[in-house]
Amino acid sequence: MSISKDDAVEKARKDLAQRLKVDAGAVKEQSVEEADFPDMALGAAEDGEMSGQMITRGWRIRLGANEQNYEYRADKNQVRLFKFKGKNYRI
Amino acid sequence: MNRNNFLLHLALAIVLILIAAFAGQLSRWRKQWKSHVRIMPVAEKRRASTAEEIALAEGRSTRAEVLVKFKSSVSSETIEKIAERLHDRIEDRIENDPGLEAIDDLDDADAAEIVAQYSSLPEVEYAEPNYEISLDTTSYALVRPSDPRFEDQWALSNSGQRGGKEGADISATRAWGTTTGSDKVVVAVLDSGVDYTHEDLAPNMWTRPANLTPYHDNELGTIEDENGFNAIDNSSDPMDENGHGTHCAGIIGAEGSNDIGISGVNWKVRIMPLKFMNAGGFGTTKDAIEAINYVIDRKKAGVNVRIISASWGSTQRSRALEEIIRKAYENDILFVAASGNANTNNDRNPHYPSSYNVPNVISVAALDRNDQLASFSNYGPKSVAIAAPGVDILSTWLGNQYEEKSGTSMATPVIAGVAALIVAEHPRISVDELRQKLLASVDSLPQLKGKIATGGRINAAKAVE
Repeated sequence: MSISKDDAVEKARKDLAQRLKVDAGAVKEQSVEEADFPDMALGAAEDGEMSGQMITRGWRIRLGANEQNYEYRADKNQVRLFKFKGKNYRI
Repeated sequence: MNRNNFLLHLALAIVLILIAAFAGQLSRWRKQWKSHVRIMPVAEKRRASTAEEIALAEGRSTRAEVLVKFKSSVSSETIEKIAERLHDRIEDRIENDPGLEAIDDLDDADAAEIVAQYSSLPEVEYAEPNYEISLDTTSYALVRPSDPRFEDQWALSNSGQRGGKEGADISATRAWGTTTGSDKVVVAVLDSGVDYTHEDLAPNMWTRPANLTPYHDNELGTIEDENGFNAIDNSSDPMDENGHGTHCAGIIGAEGSNDIGISGVNWKVRIMPLKFMNAGGFGTTKDAIEAINYVIDRKKAGVNVRIISASWGSTQRSRALEEIIRKAYENDILFVAASGNANTNNDRNPHYPSSYNVPNVISVAALDRNDQLASFSNYGPKSVAIAAPGVDILSTWLGNQYEEKSGTSMATPVIAGVAALIVAEHPRISVDELRQKLLASVDSLPQLKGKIATGGRINAAKAVE
């Protein structure tokens, strides 16, 4: 099923709240912008993952919590957390 | 100045003007000749010579000669001893490519024999005829297909449409004067699968021949691979749920001149669809390995699958993936791989599988419609071999659609497609020769010098000569 921009932001907020063990309300949306990512894993491949090397249009979602900034990347197929404590995650 | 001095100066000025005009004409002639050169092996030329020329050859004025690349571990002394043992002479050493030697055979043997002799040695990475560039007075026919959207395929024929540079293409229309491909050549598209029902692809899809037994794997069991292989669920259905694999397949072999959609680099070919990436366009290393293993198995079973097109990758190195690609090499299969889209130098930050140092891997960078390296394309003067169009490439998409996409993903099947044209024209070519033929078939571009190994864009017409 295709993911909309709003769905992606919501999934990202919930994911970050769970990871940080904070209320969803404590996660602030800083910006959401359209972006071209370098590949079909949105430049955020997990370990052992290969992806198509096609420029992929999606959204860069920046969230803030506990005075820290976090970046999620999404397109119609997926939502990913970019370099969270040095690692990428597919949500 | 007296009258005599004036006349002397006037004569000198006229001579200088004539010399300059002649030099300008020479330069124009040289440019015209350059657009009509073709490459043929020295040995082939000798075979086609007149009796008088053969006699000249027998007088050793033109010797059979080969280029031999020895492995990096082989010393100069050992190379000299090998040449001496085979009664050959090292004519030249290529300084910037250690181990590459131009060798004369003192017995005047056929170049193909010498190539075979050296290729069989464990010390040798590859050997090939020394191609001689000669003037060709034949004119080239330009073949244009009837596909209605061909005008949008700048990669195949760039007339300057949409702000592009005229001639910044792979010279496909000239190549098609020699060959438009063959349904005897199979190209494995290792990707998100392929929409094998697409109207512009269906006639060129591979299906398992009736006399070939179904695929059997000790762990997976027997799979009825009528239409290819799906490594995600180990099934026989490689239907694409993303579109990426269908796009790559169309670049290689959308049926040409059928009055539908677009033309592939090959009008006729057989595309073997393999699925290891899901609807999102990503997959696991393990499934990629399973799919390559399938290709090797089918090759061993008699399928003429000569090329794997791999428009995917990551920065993570996998020894297991490298080893299975080496197995593909041992089975005479070329592995064409995307260099990556991070605009980084792969010599410093490798991208896999394109950066594996395996002899069948050819790493591909992307160009835009002005012959410039695409803003996103990875590069690497040592590790990225060749460039091909990869921006705003029109090709097949799910549901009988067509879309423009960009990436080294799109440049990769251009090279895989040209490789298939070469195999159609030279069915017995080895994987080493095929790779070398591709690398020797580029149009040099100054802007790529120092960026990629060949410094050029693939030219399909040169490749099929």
